[in-house]
Amino acid sequence: MIRTPLRYHRPRTPDEASALLVEHRGDVAVLGGGTQLLPQMNRDQVHVGHLVDLRGLGLRRIEVTDDQVVVEALVTYADVLLSRDLSRAAPHLRRVAHGVTGGRQIRNTGTLAGSACFAMPGSDMPAALVGIDAILRLHGPDGAREVRAADFYVDAFTTVLRPGEFVLAITIPRTAARTGYCKVKHSSGSWPIATATARRLDGSATVTLGSVHATPLHVDVSDLASNGPVDRAALADRVRSALPAPWTDVLAPGDYRARIAGVVAARAFSELEGVPA
Amino acid sequence: MTIQETPSPPSLPEEVEEVPGREITLTVNGRPRRVRIEDRQLLVEVVRGQLGLIGTKVGCYNGDCGACTLQVDGEIRKSCLVLAASADGAELTTIEGVGGPDGALDEIQQAFWDNDAFQCGFCLPGHLFATRDLLDADDDPSEQDVRDALVGNLCRCTGYVNLVKAALDAAQRRRTTGTADRRSIEEEGPRPADACTLHRGPRP
Ligand SMILES: Cc1cc2nc3c(=O)[nH]c(=O)nc-3n(C[C@H](O)[C@H](O)[C@H](O)COP(=O)(O)OP(=O)(O)OC[C@H]3O[C@@H](n4cnc5c(N)ncnc54)[C@H](O)[C@@H]3O)c2cc1C
Ligand code: FES
Ligand code: FES
Repeated sequence: MIRTPLRYHRPRTPDEASALLVEHRGDVAVLGGGTQLLPQMNRDQVHVGHLVDLRGLGLRRIEVTDDQVVVEALVTYADVLLSRDLSRAAPHLRRVAHGVTGGRQIRNTGTLAGSACFAMPGSDMPAALVGIDAILRLHGPDGAREVRAADFYVDAFTTVLRPGEFVLAITIPRTAARTGYCKVKHSSGSWPIATATARRLDGSATVTLGSVHATPLHVDVSDLASNGPVDRAALADRVRSALPAPWTDVLAPGDYRARIAGVVAARAFSELEGVPA
Repeated sequence: MTIQETPSPPSLPEEVEEVPGREITLTVNGRPRRVRIEDRQLLVEVVRGQLGLIGTKVGCYNGDCGACTLQVDGEIRKSCLVLAASADGAELTTIEGVGGPDGALDEIQQAFWDNDAFQCGFCLPGHLFATRDLLDADDDPSEQDVRDALVGNLCRCTGYVNLVKAALDAAQRRRTTGTADRRSIEEEGPRPADACTLHRGPRP
């Protein structure tokens, strides 16, 4: 039972939503799927007097065009897994959504945008979005703006969202890039300890690590891939030196995360390159 | 001895603040219902409290155990993760709505019963709905498919072995009685069961 008084709002337009967020500034949260927010409110870790539900805005479409994929704010992991068009146009999102735990019930409820906004280091979506150059389409009291996922994360649990702003959609540019993903976790039902999105496009090679740092860690390794596969030993060194302050939480201490980060990065490239790790 | 005077009760503020609430409409196991709720109530609290359907359980209030599972507009959800106000207008099927009107067990329930798949039964909403969700999408799942589909539901009594056996047995029963739903198999593209897998990569 949420013990503090709470008022529920279901605005009909993005402007109305922003106006409510501004009016109740400091005492309000956006309700996406609710899988993070509601348990926190129930435990009294988050107490706000107002919730702004995005349900009245629709926002559950996946739109695939020739040059991009648009995933609206209320699209769930299950929506992603069931969309044939998205599977072709943005296979990496499907790959990542596939490994989200908690069962079909969670995948029917949790949204990609919610996970992106929660900005929890030990989760899949933030670093995966940074890794594929996603862009967040925001709506706020001053209208719309776009922010690259790479610029969205300020610190653990902190984004550049301003008062009154929320995510309307996530867009992913369609490219010929190839990607690979690797995630390390304690058991089938637990949260990630380290994730890596490997990506190659033309001459460039990058890896974006998640869960190992307060914010997603994007590392350019193009110079390590000049003749064929990415050099694994150099990759491990590069990743280690990019990680001076690894993330610590109840699942794993930072030094463990630092130790495995290079291996996780290598495995993501192995998936991409189709060679055994 | 001095007797202390009972302090007078604090005076109520001029305007007593009303607890934010509303009336919502739901279709519950096929019947239309109107319920008065508080805005802060979770769906599981309304289902158990106002609607009195206590087959839906609360184990963790954290999305982990699955005991609060029900169907909202055809999709299985953990009802501790749904705000009741947000479900206004929805169609719900709770565990009470799964069997026949006369209390007869459906094939999956009967398979669970025959295979000793449960002891206390607290986890049944999650396991029965997750099994049904899988079998509606895939009438011939492998053991790994079943295990993947049941992830997200915790059972503290059984150790899962008989749960998996029961789900496979239920699939077999559905195939023999011809109640298996073949729709999704004939359609091309990702199947609903693809959203259940966990350990192996996505199907090509
Ligand atoms: C049992 C369980 C297992 C899980 N397993 C995994 C896992 O394996 N990997 C993983 O990464 N995550 C996992 N999660 C977390 C899950 O991914 C996230 O809970 C989910 O995607 C968050 O989305 P939501 O829509 O439910 O967010 P909500 O709970 O609705 O919101 C989360 C936060 O973001 C804000 N917010 C939501 N939407 C917006 C928006 N559009 N604009 C601005 N702010 C917004 C909210 O105000 C809140 O602060 C798990 C959760 C549970 C309960
Ligand atoms: S009570 Fe809802 S998942 Fe445990
Ligand atoms: S039978 Fe008791 S929790 Fe599953």
